[in-house]
Amino acid sequence: MAYRITDKCNGCGACSRLCPVDAITGNKNALHVIAAERCIECGACGRICAAAAVKDPFGIFSPMVKRSLWEKPRFDKMTCMSCRICIDACPVHCLYLSEAANHIDPHGRPYMANEKACIGCGFCARECPVEAIAMTVSQS
Amino acid sequence: MGNILNVDLSSRVIREEIIPNHVYEKYLSGMGLAAHILYERIPAGADPLGPENVIGFVSGLLTGTGSLFAGRWMVVGKSPLTGGWGEANCGGSFSPAIKRCGYDGIFFAGISEKPVYLYLKNGVEELRDASHLWGRDAVESEAMLIAETGANSRIAVIGPAGERLSLISGICNDRGRMAARSGLGAVMGAKRLKAVVLDGEKRIEVHNRAEIKRLSQICNRWVQFQPPFFAGSVTAYVGALMRILPVQMAMDGLVYKMLLKKWGTGGMNQMSVEMGDAPVKNWRGSNVDWGIRKSLSVNPDVIRKHEKVKYHCYACPLGCGGICSTKGKYGETHKPEYETVLSLGGLCMNADVDSIFHLNEILNRAGMDTISAGSTVAFAIECYEAGILTKKDTDGLELTWGNSGAIVALIEKMVRREGIGDVLADGSKVAARKIGKKAAASAMHAGGQELPMHDGRNDPGYNVHYSVEAAPGRHTVGAQMYYEMFQLWKVAKGLPRVKPLYFKSGKYVADEEKAVRAALCSKFMNIVNCAGLCLFGVFLGAKRTPAFSWLNAATGWNKTPEEYLDIGARIQTLKQAFNIKHGVDPRSFRPSDRVIGKPAQTEGANRGRTVDMEKLISDYYRQFGWNPETGRPTEESIGRLKLRGEEHGI
Repeated sequence: MAYRITDKCNGCGACSRLCPVDAITGNKNALHVIAAERCIECGACGRICAAAAVKDPFGIFSPMVKRSLWEKPRFDKMTCMSCRICIDACPVHCLYLSEAANHIDPHGRPYMANEKACIGCGFCARECPVEAIAMTVSQS
Repeated sequence: MGNILNVDLSSRVIREEIIPNHVYEKYLSGMGLAAHILYERIPAGADPLGPENVIGFVSGLLTGTGSLFAGRWMVVGKSPLTGGWGEANCGGSFSPAIKRCGYDGIFFAGISEKPVYLYLKNGVEELRDASHLWGRDAVESEAMLIAETGANSRIAVIGPAGERLSLISGICNDRGRMAARSGLGAVMGAKRLKAVVLDGEKRIEVHNRAEIKRLSQICNRWVQFQPPFFAGSVTAYVGALMRILPVQMAMDGLVYKMLLKKWGTGGMNQMSVEMGDAPVKNWRGSNVDWGIRKSLSVNPDVIRKHEKVKYHCYACPLGCGGICSTKGKYGETHKPEYETVLSLGGLCMNADVDSIFHLNEILNRAGMDTISAGSTVAFAIECYEAGILTKKDTDGLELTWGNSGAIVALIEKMVRREGIGDVLADGSKVAARKIGKKAAASAMHAGGQELPMHDGRNDPGYNVHYSVEAAPGRHTVGAQMYYEMFQLWKVAKGLPRVKPLYFKSGKYVADEEKAVRAALCSKFMNIVNCAGLCLFGVFLGAKRTPAFSWLNAATGWNKTPEEYLDIGARIQTLKQAFNIKHGVDPRSFRPSDRVIGKPAQTEGANRGRTVDMEKLISDYYRQFGWNPETGRPTEESIGRLKLRGEEHGI
């Protein structure tokens, strides 16, 4: 199961620049290809593609979404148990663990350290065992 | 179905291998898979530090599935310290990194010509030159590798101790978390494999993630239950009370968890000394020698005062670790664990807590086992006090009990392998042989492995596991207290129950039920190590930490707890067969006489206590169908556990 680029591709290269696992190859202005064994199905290529040339594993074309409207994780600090699963799950490593807030709550918490790098894949929310992460569109 | 990666360091060939489903059903993943592979691949009589030995880094079956506490990775190989099965277990962030590269384990054979490290990232698989890292300490090396390969690399690395083939060296990750036991750092050093650097992004397939999440949320509720707690100094008095009272409550893991959540393992520091669980003065002393006033320096609150932030391993909701500030040149260290504090503290009568923090960081950076290092120093001090070692032998060090300056200097020498340090750097058994005279009587070990800081004269279950495990001298497999906390009888049928309140004298009677419980601990911990779960997680009880249900949800199997325990027995027998294959006599693992109470102590918490170990060990062997005299797995047990045939041909 992997994403696939159809011949609607105009070879702009936006997807291959974004792909967190370097699975997409192709020359400029030529059809790009996704290496299926490397694809982790984050869907970033589909969201960025202006030509809407990318099919998801179910064969449905992914619509392009303006990057400012991509969903980003929001953390519920009360539910979070600092287990670091989300930090490990993030393929672009945009999450980090904070320092301890104070002596009463000495646990670090995950926070979005590099919002620009986030590809909105939602792996963090999917892997969080206690559902402390919600994927929402940033209001700003 | 899963994959492992085989790396031949001699020929620099890297080969992926598919492991079929039936192997997972028989041995699960993690340690079981490793036992299966190592039994086949390491030829009988192979030199642990030679090219034929195989060292494996394995993740757990539950790692990355959303199960809590599933962040442990294991290093396995033939141990240069004991000559038999070697395993070491560690937390941190390395376990999911193995799986994110698409593997359940990475196995290294051969010897590299020059120092190398393995680098894996999104399809890149290569051995890179590590000459520039050779000689650097573990934390420094990790920082340099991160600078080289990117901030997200997860790194397992050896320090100078492993490079210099110290038999008590371990493997380090996350700036100081160590897979320390069995001396496997030396195996890596002998192979000239400086580090394993992983930066994969593969997804981890799970059969039923929603079910795992549901179970994890229930488990997490138990973990987060933390009523306000008493101050650290009270723990000492609780320990004293436990020593004095003739009755004892069955330990509930929930209480233990509260100690861990507040203080980490250090919560037991003073309590253990007072109740007789911690050995003092190289196992010769007791709470009388190192009373509440002296051990106050390692009071849980004293340790916690230095803590800047709690440290959680991957997938851990508990967070028993911590990052602490420390005096001296390093400034920061992982919070010293109970074992570290007591082996460098009480065992050497050292009450200087600053020196313990400093030594913790020195040993972490060197990649040396703190338990073994502390035990070996205590051995050296005893030899010095008895006149076996003189000031000339120790290069002018005044090795007296509690001389913290000399202890620090000695350990620095051990790391550098200088003078007396060279004699001691391979642990107390080798050192006793080199020193000769009557030094062997002061070396406290089981089969060469230095003993942890849990006194089997207080809980004889520890002594059983020190003697019977394939990797001897382990406190992380079983004890009578562990069986009480595992609460296996709540999920599996026909297992002995524990009374909520019992007379302590019953603990020291060598009846068969003790062996039944010990065998169950071994079987269960094999499953836990296959799953990659943490011991402190399963301490909560089999019902609160649903290991078996997690395994079923992750794999889609429908196995009962009894079936899983059978798998545990199979792995235990396979590990035992590994030792037999390599000519290790299981009976030789019996700990030193002093440790099992021969002669019995005359004062302190454990006075007058000797337990019939011979009977307990024989009974334990019988539980697995092994020969009760020799410990060799019998034909019948091998047949019953389906270990014969095309796979192993034992």
